[in-house]
Amino acid sequence: MNEHSPFESAPDDQLGAALRDALPTPFGGVFVNRVLARLRQQRSRSWDEELAGWFWQGLAAASLVAALAGWGLKVFGSADEVETAASTSVASQLLEGSTPGANVLLASMSSADAP
Amino acid sequence: MTGGDEAELAARAGRGDADAFGALVEKHQAMARRVAYAILEDREDADDAAQEGFLSAWRAIARYDPSKAFRPWLMQIVVNAARDLRRRRRVRAADPLDSVSAASRDNPAREAGDIDLGERLRAALATLPERQRLAVVLFDAEGYAQAEIAALLGIPEGTVKSDVFHGRRALRRVLSTVKEEWDE
Repeated sequence: MNEHSPFESAPDDQLGAALRDALPTPFGGVFVNRVLARLRQQRSRSWDEELAGWFWQGLAAASLVAALAGWGLKVFGSADEVETAASTSVASQLLEGSTPGANVLLASMSSADAP
Repeated sequence: MTGGDEAELAARAGRGDADAFGALVEKHQAMARRVAYAILEDREDADDAAQEGFLSAWRAIARYDPSKAFRPWLMQIVVNAARDLRRRRRVRAADPLDSVSAASRDNPAREAGDIDLGERLRAALATLPERQRLAVVLFDAEGYAQAEIAALLGIPEGTVKSDVFHGRRALRRVLSTVKEEWDE
C-alpha cells in the first residue's frame, strides 16, 4: 500500500478488494429477478394506464362524433324546409304587401307565362 | 461484456427488450448495490435504492446516448436514487457506529478477539462524510477514474482527489490495525 500521497492516481487494489468483501452483495440472482419482476409489473401497469388514457380519449372522440352527427342531422334535415321557404317566398312577399324586388316580379311573370 | 456489447444491450433495451435490460442489471447489480450502500449504510435500503435506480434507468433508457459509457450513466441514476431514498428515510437512519458497536458488544466472538475486517471497514466507512465514502468506494473498489467520479458527483476533480486521499487514510488505518492484530 502506498502511504498517503494526495497525488496517487491509481486505485489501491488491496483496499479495493477489502472494500468489495466488506460490502458484499449476496443473492445477486434473487436481486436481478426482483428487479425484473418489478419491471414487468410496471410494464403491465403502464399498459393498463395506456388503455385507460385511450379510453378517455376515445370517449372524447365519440362524444365529438356524436355532436357532429347531431349537428349534421339538424342542418341537412332542415334543408327541405329551407327549399320550401324559398319557393313560398315570392307569394308571401306579395301577400305581405311589401314592395317586391325585380327578381320576384320576373319570377312571377315567368311562372304565369308557363302553360 | 465490452462497452460495445453494453451499448448494443442498451439499444435493445431502449426498444423495449426486457431481457437485454436484465443482462445489464445482472452485470451491474453488485456495483450498484455497493455504491448505494456507501450512501445509505444499510443493506436493505441499498438494495431498494439500487432497484429503484435500475427501474429509473429502464424508464429513461430510450434517452441514453450510446456514444457515451453506460456504466457512469447508470451509476449517476443509482446515486440519485440512493440520495432520494436517504432523504425519504432520514427518520430511520440510526447512528451506524452505534449499531456496529452494539453488534460488537453482543458478539461473544468479538470479545474473544475474533477480527471481522469487513465489519471494521464498514464502521470506518460510516465515520466518513458521504462524499468521501462514495469517492473511495467508486475509485478503489469499483475502478472509476477520478474524472468520471467528478462528473458523476458534480464536483471538481481536485475535490475527488482530496476525498479519496482522506477516505483512504481512515480505511488504511483499519487495514493496518487488523493486519497487526493478525500478526500478533
